[in-house]
Amino acid sequence: MRDIQLIAKREYLEQIRGKAFKITTILIPVIFAVIISISVVAGKYSGSGKHFVVAANNATLAEDMRAQLLNDKDANLQVDVLAPAADSDRQKLVDQVTQKQLDGYLWLVQDANGHTAAVYAGRSSGDFTTAGRLSDSLDRAILQQQLTGHGVPSTDAAMFTKGVKIKTRQVRDGKEVDSSTFGTFIAAYVMAFLLTFTVMMYGMNVGRSVIQEKTSRIFEVMLSTVEPKDMLAGKLIGIGAVGLTQLSIWAAAAGIFSTTALAASVMTGELTIHISVPQIILFAVYFLLGYALYSTLFAGLAATCESEQELQQYAPLAAVPVWLSFSMITFIMSNPNSFWSVAVSLFPPCAPIAMFLRIASQFPPIWQIALSLVLLLASVVFVVWFSSRIYRIGILMYGKRATLPEIFRWLRYS
Amino acid sequence: MAAVVELDRISKSYENKIAVKDLSLSIDAGTMFGLLGPNGAGKTSSIRMMVGITMPDSGTVNLLGKPFTRESLKRIGYLPEERGLYKKMKVMDQLVFMGELRGLDKTVAAKRAHDWCERLQILEAADKKTEELSKGMQQKIQFISTLLHDPALVIMDEPFSGLDPVNAVLLQDTLVDLKKAGKAILFSTHRMDQVEKLCDAICLIDRGRAVLSGGMREVKSRYERNRVLIDFEGDNAFLRHPAIAEYKDYAGHVEIKLKPHADAQSLLHAAAEKAQIYKFELVEPSLEEIFIATVGEKIDA
Repeated sequence: MRDIQLIAKREYLEQIRGKAFKITTILIPVIFAVIISISVVAGKYSGSGKHFVVAANNATLAEDMRAQLLNDKDANLQVDVLAPAADSDRQKLVDQVTQKQLDGYLWLVQDANGHTAAVYAGRSSGDFTTAGRLSDSLDRAILQQQLTGHGVPSTDAAMFTKGVKIKTRQVRDGKEVDSSTFGTFIAAYVMAFLLTFTVMMYGMNVGRSVIQEKTSRIFEVMLSTVEPKDMLAGKLIGIGAVGLTQLSIWAAAAGIFSTTALAASVMTGELTIHISVPQIILFAVYFLLGYALYSTLFAGLAATCESEQELQQYAPLAAVPVWLSFSMITFIMSNPNSFWSVAVSLFPPCAPIAMFLRIASQFPPIWQIALSLVLLLASVVFVVWFSSRIYRIGILMYGKRATLPEIFRWLRYS
Repeated sequence: MAAVVELDRISKSYENKIAVKDLSLSIDAGTMFGLLGPNGAGKTSSIRMMVGITMPDSGTVNLLGKPFTRESLKRIGYLPEERGLYKKMKVMDQLVFMGELRGLDKTVAAKRAHDWCERLQILEAADKKTEELSKGMQQKIQFISTLLHDPALVIMDEPFSGLDPVNAVLLQDTLVDLKKAGKAILFSTHRMDQVEKLCDAICLIDRGRAVLSGGMREVKSRYERNRVLIDFEGDNAFLRHPAIAEYKDYAGHVEIKLKPHADAQSLLHAAAEKAQIYKFELVEPSLEEIFIATVGEKIDA
């Protein structure tokens, strides 16, 4: 026990004093803040400030379309009308786009029966925000035109076509409470990302620490007094404590920040964020179990390698489950109770991240959380058994990287 | 008094290779013991079993007069052939850490580390990080970390490999001091000159088996004094004496190998009749020659 404590303490102090700890503690929240602000700002203003021409054979339709587009204040568009447009005008518009005088033009042709064909041509092809805006506006413009065509006064027609904004609320504990999907999404996203990031970072840290001890040939010196399992346990505890320290620093900083006036002005309306106490506790539990799983895995892996570079080559492979759960992020957020969401959140390597996303969007049944924790714990036990065996033999094998058959033979030694 | 280390017919094999086979040896307090053998003979494997890094497949290990327990390891200092330090740690922190792992109190460890650094003249490095130090200094720190807890048994695997001459002598003197203080010292090497100079007893192993062991004098006495060195002036006709098996003549200095059981005294008489003899020395075979004769010519020292 004393050995484990000494080794954990050494590992903890070395990492806490290291540059990497200080840099990541400061830089990661900064990077997060920057990424989130950029995505918020970019989402709001994308496709804005553009200059279009609406060209139509029907002047009324073109004017209505222009009015609809200008209604969208966020978009801040500049819209010119060309009506009635002749086919010869089309080439002129193309030239204007080519010369960057225009971002694009909408070509509308309405036949005698009132059917409308629309083509949008612009410089960029993947501008989905603009395409969406144009489509909505055109639908409304045509509707308005038809209403007035059927004798509805134009003021009434404008009112009928006015869109309605949906306010989202969440049902929690049998009550309807204010919530904002955007704020919830951000909170879940940040927490899941933070969880992934810290689990992987500290898991890798354990691997790196093992390989450093192996390459610096300190192992055999240590092993003449300390048992391998105590060395591994001390290392896991020490580095895990570093991770918890870093998370606590961030949590404290976030807590202090949330009381400031700046936070109060930012965290209103759409950006209201709910983080409950169970969420925080589960975050810590999933961090610890996820860390235990990945760090022992990396420790075993590192023991079979000869150099840090060799270990780095394996890292992406071990990170596959993480990317798997991340690629399902939108699916889980929009279908938190579907079969695949549940399955992924129970699968141990993905559980910490996937379950956390589900918790954030809709609290899953307790039995599912319990089951995922039990499965995770069972796989931790298995990986510890597996890795500690490989570790015990691998750390004394110098010279070349172990082959797979060799590793299986190591498992049989005891 | 019971032996500090006693191995009784220990064996260890890996998959397709026998590392150690029925090795027995015993080391007493206050002696220096040399474990010799060509590369891959099983020296490191034997040592690893003594310090509990691996367990023998059969046979027993007794430490400090008792069957092996991990508790005994706190009284052993082991310096492996593959040795290192934590690069980012400060020298003093590192020494204290190693001392604490071997059961020392923090303040005691710090005090002893300080004394040892002073003794080996590296006190000015105590506050530096290990990675900033020269290789020789790092080696001194490794020695200190091995000896800090005042072990009753010191085991050093190839301690002299990679050492510069100054540090080699320093280590050698330190080991002799420890021996005089009643510690048992085992070191493995293939440097025969050092063994010959330092060791009281040896065990020569080859392909996992002990092929020669015992006290240094006793081992040597098993071999005849069959080499003669003569410095002379005058007629060298005595070189045709029947006792001589072969010789090398370096003008005034000859190195002679005698036939088995030949009479060296009759050679001396024959030589003295014809030539002026300045030196006539009957030398025992060097350990290196014994080593080569026993193991064959395939050592790569």
